[in-house]
Amino acid sequence: MLTPLWLTLKIALLATLLAGAAGIALGWWMSQRRFPGKSIADAIVMLPMVLPPTVLGYYLIVVIGRNGVLGQYLERWFGINLMFTWQGAVIAASLVSLPLIYKAARAAFEDVDGRFLHAARTLGAGEFEIFVRVALPLAVRGITAGLMLAFARAMGEFGATLMIAGNLPGKTQTLSIAIYDAVQAGNDAQALWLTLVISVVCVVVLVVSGRMLQAKH
Amino acid sequence: MNRFPRWFGKTTLFAALSLGTVALHAQEVVVSAAASLTNAFQAVGQAFEKTRPGAKVTFNFAASGPLLAQIQQGAPVDVFASADQETMDRAAKANLLAEGTRADFARNTLVLIVPATAATVPQKLADLGGTGFKRISTGTPSSVPVGRYTMASVQEAGLTAALEPKWIYGESVRQVLNYVARNEVDAGFVYRTDALIEKDKTRIALTVPTTTPVSYPIAQIAASKNVALGKEFVAFVRSDTGQQILEGFGFSKP
Amino acid sequence: MAPILDIHVQTTLESPGRSFALDARFTSTTARTALIGASGSGKSTVLMAIAGLAPRVRGHVRIAGTTLLDTDHAVDLPARARRVGLVFQDYALFPHMTVEQNLAFGLCRLGQRPSEADRVRIDVLSRQFDLETLRGAWPRHLSGGQRQRVALARALAPQPHLLLLDEPLSALDTTLRIRLRAELAEMLERVQVPTLLVTHDPSDVEALAQSVVQLDDGAVRGPGFTAP
Repeated sequence: MLTPLWLTLKIALLATLLAGAAGIALGWWMSQRRFPGKSIADAIVMLPMVLPPTVLGYYLIVVIGRNGVLGQYLERWFGINLMFTWQGAVIAASLVSLPLIYKAARAAFEDVDGRFLHAARTLGAGEFEIFVRVALPLAVRGITAGLMLAFARAMGEFGATLMIAGNLPGKTQTLSIAIYDAVQAGNDAQALWLTLVISVVCVVVLVVSGRMLQAKH
Repeated sequence: MNRFPRWFGKTTLFAALSLGTVALHAQEVVVSAAASLTNAFQAVGQAFEKTRPGAKVTFNFAASGPLLAQIQQGAPVDVFASADQETMDRAAKANLLAEGTRADFARNTLVLIVPATAATVPQKLADLGGTGFKRISTGTPSSVPVGRYTMASVQEAGLTAALEPKWIYGESVRQVLNYVARNEVDAGFVYRTDALIEKDKTRIALTVPTTTPVSYPIAQIAASKNVALGKEFVAFVRSDTGQQILEGFGFSKP
Repeated sequence: MAPILDIHVQTTLESPGRSFALDARFTSTTARTALIGASGSGKSTVLMAIAGLAPRVRGHVRIAGTTLLDTDHAVDLPARARRVGLVFQDYALFPHMTVEQNLAFGLCRLGQRPSEADRVRIDVLSRQFDLETLRGAWPRHLSGGQRQRVALARALAPQPHLLLLDEPLSALDTTLRIRLRAELAEMLERVQVPTLLVTHDPSDVEALAQSVVQLDDGAVRGPGFTAP
């Protein structure tokens, strides 16, 4: 009965790590640069947050589906097929989480007083060292709040996940999909129980991240 | 003193009468039908509207299970057509059906299809156990009739254990068809009528014997607000005209 | 003898609706030089340009013969390679590091452990700047004067060729300022590193500098002159 929970947690955790790495790197990069077309680049990164899940799911299929732009090579060269796998679900969930982390990370980095970064430069540090030793530690609160929001979002991912990973009990049936399944089959008791489980986890995550954001200010 | 132009009064009267006329004759019947009936019922609906000017049929296509769930939750449905007796039995048990309106109106065949580009085509059901078939699709058994027919047939053939790790469930029979057409799975179980829709991208490997006939029942919903029109629609589906249209899509007589 | 400071920096600062052009050219033969001017005259920008922290700077920066920037000859060292110590107006001590870690920042790079020589250097600096009891302290617990000492020591730790001070005393209240001005004068005498300090306070010039350059709306007015 709780397999969807462990599966959801596993997928959400990995998706948060994946999106976290990309989001933090992008957030740092964008916070330090000014270039023509920056707002367009920003909009592209934020896109998965506003695109309808089915649109996102469709794009994913076009890219990593069996006959997809990348998918066909993945299968041909590595024998890897991401459709109907929990790994595919991780990719779908990472994509919807990325904008949340990116936004939080970029804001957190922009909040870091530029003088600290300048001081570090005069003391001989290169850009990567500044990121690791100065920027990241000073931005960690805002970034963590973003990561927690991303985790909650990844936990609830449904539309794109359903299209890429399908509904395979034990393999890709996340909590959200299990709830959908239960409703479809008229199994209200099951649907209610699963809904409560995911609601509790999400509320906890939001309360903790809310506290972290408040403490910062 | 007449402040309005002369044509104003005439136009208003005409508009009022027309609207009233439309209101008197416009009738709408909401039909929830199994996904496999999508193309056939759309044609039936169009033919029905021709015979009854002013009538409008609104369709709601999905797997039978979710359709039942919607009706249970109070969706304003007048007529329900499912792809198996089991779903209709559940509806009857929940007292959702109008007394005496249930009837079987069509039959279908379960087939095994593969992508048109498939290298190997299974000759018999047991071939699916081989290594060439890693992913096999059918509907989610708990809510999609085609999934139930499939599992019963698979069990009858003694292949339950062999195929257990290979299943990819679709939300409806049309999604199963789509998976096969897109080559995302190696094989899939759909109805013959669905296979005919994707003739170019799929090919029928074999007809699958089912433990119970694939029989489609139709009924009026007890809470329906359009009883008369609902009755007419059901009658039309069962009439010679309706049956001919269904046969054109590959369905057989009930 | 080459001048200690041979500076010519030109750059344009753009902000929404405004554009500020800087063209500062001056030399100095004294160890401690003051750069004065009204608020908004571009003094801090000159320091940033010398340190390599301002974008798109044209001109040249030579410190006692070493060239840090020379756009005519395609020389433009990145900030981290210029060996210029910079002390900000509000000190910019890393809040997530102790005093000792702040001091050590310029001495060893990411992934390196402080060498024996580094440890000795930190000991010497701590003694010189009276920070021995504060080595484990956090910047937020320090007084203004203590922070100034840490900021100076941190900037001097990697033994820079030039020390830049941006309004070193303006963050302090009047009484403290008087006391620390004397302390700062004494510290600068000791360290013997060419120093350029920015200030708008004539008392600072008196106590701390040996010559003055005046910046007026982004341009240097008149040649440098020696304070009495």
